[in-house]
Amino acid sequence: MLELKNIESGYGETRVIHGLDLTVEAGSVHALLGRNGVGKSTTLKTIIGQLSLTAGQIRFDGTDTSDLNPYDIARLGVAYVPETRDIFGALSVRENLELAGRLAPAEGASWDVDRVLDFFPNLADRMSNGGHELSGGEQQMLAIGRALMMEPRILLLDEPTEGLAPIIIQQIFTKLNQLKTEGMTILLVEQNFNFAAGLADMISLVGRGQIVWQGTADALKTDTEAHEKWLGV
Amino acid sequence: MSDAAFWILQLLNALQYSMLLFLLSIGLTVIFGLLHFMNLAHGALYMMGAYIGISITSATGSFWAAFFLAPLAVTAIGAVLYFTLIRRLRNAGPMNQVLVTFGLIFVFLDIVRLGWGDIALGLDAPTALQGTTKFLSVSYPTYRFFIIGLGLVVMATLMTIVSRTQIGAMIRASVENDDMAAAMGINVGRLFFAVFCVGCALAGLAGVVAAPVFSATTGMGISILIPTLIVVVIGGLGSLQGAVVGSLIVGSIETIGAAVLPGVASILIYVLLAVILVVRPAGLIPARV
Repeated sequence: MLELKNIESGYGETRVIHGLDLTVEAGSVHALLGRNGVGKSTTLKTIIGQLSLTAGQIRFDGTDTSDLNPYDIARLGVAYVPETRDIFGALSVRENLELAGRLAPAEGASWDVDRVLDFFPNLADRMSNGGHELSGGEQQMLAIGRALMMEPRILLLDEPTEGLAPIIIQQIFTKLNQLKTEGMTILLVEQNFNFAAGLADMISLVGRGQIVWQGTADALKTDTEAHEKWLGV
Repeated sequence: MSDAAFWILQLLNALQYSMLLFLLSIGLTVIFGLLHFMNLAHGALYMMGAYIGISITSATGSFWAAFFLAPLAVTAIGAVLYFTLIRRLRNAGPMNQVLVTFGLIFVFLDIVRLGWGDIALGLDAPTALQGTTKFLSVSYPTYRFFIIGLGLVVMATLMTIVSRTQIGAMIRASVENDDMAAAMGINVGRLFFAVFCVGCALAGLAGVVAAPVFSATTGMGISILIPTLIVVVIGGLGSLQGAVVGSLIVGSIETIGAAVLPGVASILIYVLLAVILVVRPAGLIPARV
């Protein structure tokens, strides 16, 4: 569904991704793991077009998105939940959701505000609050809810557990697992190994801007060498 | 003149001046807030609005033709500037933007000198708005009431659009975080251009409605630019409510200060600017929460 072929990208003159190949199958959860600064977030930002490719190609569902604008990529159904969540503080919770749902078809949309509130009941009491008044956990739920309102065909999640209390992490895990059961395609960047291993059908380890290991969570658990080399501190 | 009448008159003057400042600062502040672009030529667009309005009135014999067409003409000028200079300078840094748009001020100054000459030109208020209207025992020019009313209508319209409609939510979201707005499918560039055009139209509108009160002069664009910039900084860059509050504050201080403390009036707004920059450097009502 999503194919990255030998991509290179980075910030200005600094290249962070050096020839990365990655394929995310439709309906699967694929996790990108690796130490800080190896290019996991940069990969997501390149997929959504925020950073431009200096080489290689990205295809989403057969469409070459390498040279598309970020808003065109978003309209293809690529929804992004950044590490910083990036909730619009000047907008209410409802406005944050409705803005994301603006491009969804009026008829037959599978996500609307009511369904997001069913999914994340914590948000229901906060609908008229400003985005800046939310706790970290609520922000994360809103960021995911907002991405769902875009009727995504793939969800890109950047460290959804970062800075959250264990009980909230557990809630987010349950919800993402539910999405997985419903067949949502997810590309997940994580530092929390157990969280990612519990969700992912496939894990890719990133090192120095490339994929250095690929396999299932079980395979990674037994491959202590790869674990030590690319994840150990 | 009684004390009460004096104060009512000063307040009306302040309100009328504030509305002109508002029409100008709203364009400047949204252009800065959305495009991160400091357009010093915004005052020149105001001047073009006045001169083009005068020409349209003399050609058609109708102030109202000028009232509607001059803002459109100024928008067209703005669009040319956008595609030739502003869009290319978006990532060129504030110093380059200020230098280029500062240069544009002189370009427009000479365009006006060549086209209309160096003499101040007047414009008659439309017949229906000539004369005075009594308000709380004070007789005040009807046309100035019209400016106050127009400012309030524009203010209310913009506030409603920005705070209540989806377009408004898109603008607020894009001002706050344009990358995230784009990641949600918003064509931020096109949105910014539309907002830029509205800002230019309002500068043109301010110019044409100011002409009957102040006359059109080649210096009008520069002399309005400083208080407009102060409004934008005091209110908070990119903030609509900030432009409203900033215009009222600057308009009141300049007008009432000149009547009450003529000696120090001219420095009062700079004192205020300095105080705000120290106490609330992001302005009174910042756009980014």
